[in-house]
Amino acid sequence: MLNFTNFDLEQVFSMNDETNPLMMLIWIVPIIIFVFYGQQIQLLVTSGEIKKAIKKLDVFRSDSKKELINYVKKNLDPVNDPTKKIEQFLDYFTIMPVDMDPNGIVEKVRHTVRSREDYTRNQIKSLFSDISDLELNRVQTLLEIASSLQMIHKIVNHMYLTAKKQKNYPLILPLQMILPFLMEHARAMISAIPAFKNGQPVGDGIGPMVVGKMMLHAEKEIISFQTVLAKIDYEKRKLFLLKAEGPSSTVGRPDDALQSIITQNKIDAIIMIDAALKMEGEDSASVAHGFGAAIGGIGTERYQIEFIANQNKIPIFSIVIKQSVTEAITLMTKEIADQADNVRSQVYEMILENSLEGQSIVIIGVGNTSGIQQ
Amino acid sequence: MIFSKEKITLAYTIEKCSKCKKSHKRDFANGDILFSNSSQCTFCDGVTIIEQIFGEILQK
Repeated sequence: MLNFTNFDLEQVFSMNDETNPLMMLIWIVPIIIFVFYGQQIQLLVTSGEIKKAIKKLDVFRSDSKKELINYVKKNLDPVNDPTKKIEQFLDYFTIMPVDMDPNGIVEKVRHTVRSREDYTRNQIKSLFSDISDLELNRVQTLLEIASSLQMIHKIVNHMYLTAKKQKNYPLILPLQMILPFLMEHARAMISAIPAFKNGQPVGDGIGPMVVGKMMLHAEKEIISFQTVLAKIDYEKRKLFLLKAEGPSSTVGRPDDALQSIITQNKIDAIIMIDAALKMEGEDSASVAHGFGAAIGGIGTERYQIEFIANQNKIPIFSIVIKQSVTEAITLMTKEIADQADNVRSQVYEMILENSLEGQSIVIIGVGNTSGIQQ
Repeated sequence: MIFSKEKITLAYTIEKCSKCKKSHKRDFANGDILFSNSSQCTFCDGVTIIEQIFGEILQK
């Protein structure tokens, strides 16, 4: 029988000159394993984390689709069962114009994006015998959310499966780096659904909220697609107030509206009010002033506004209200809503500081105007 | 997560009377739209206007 009590630990782990074969194995085997299989081990560890994220994205994707279908079935009156058609819309893709020759690329991008929007709108209309613009915009927004979540899930899953198939650890690194940001966006989008379904204002609506109140008792007209204009006088200055047409979930077309105003009037300044992404460490709902066109999106609208301003030598001033991605697309927080009156008084101050009596200023409230009237 | 608290966002509406300027906070109701006429003021005979709609996070 073996006597384990007589086991000499010092001899087993001895580090003296006499080579111990067991000690050698303990050191050398892991080194060999890590040299040849290090990447696969790292891939295994990282893939566990990514798999969890993909599962979550899959839940977000299916939940957003279910929410959309349920909303349509419960609140609207579809001609036929809309499930199949909605599933088709979710898979629609947009091929962006080729940019090898950048000349005229903005026009091409604008055309592609607007064609897609118009097509989606018409397709949604075709699902119902009668649908109001308010509901149409709501369904379109919910469709955009569901389709974006489907796209994020597809891309992340593709990158993960490719790395796993090729057993290539470096391929998974970019995914590991961007995943937290993608998850933040995905979480924000899924949390945005209740606000848009209930027609509530979102954080991004602070610009339209400020301008909407300024134009409350003025006469309003539709100046471009889903965009409202009101003209008021303030301290012997003429103000052209612009915002998307509320309370629909839309951002309107402020670039087209500005073009239309410029062709008929001499404008001396443009003031834009928008929500802006806060940097880490910055306070939410803090207000900052700046110079240049404050408008997000794909960039075509900003280009158009900058082009008009440059052509007519009009300065653009901007006021932004800082917020996180989640705050921007979910129900407006109390802190952001509380800033509306403060921002409005800052707009009036900016007007007085940057214009003279008799001059004309365009004030644009940029953002989604869901739940905000004018 | 085991230790993270569940967060619920509660939506509220603030109505302000255009006559007596008194504000009143209540739960958000479907159909509430910012700057629309809301109800009869409880303090005077004025009409209230929806001044704010916002969410507050409740941690369970």
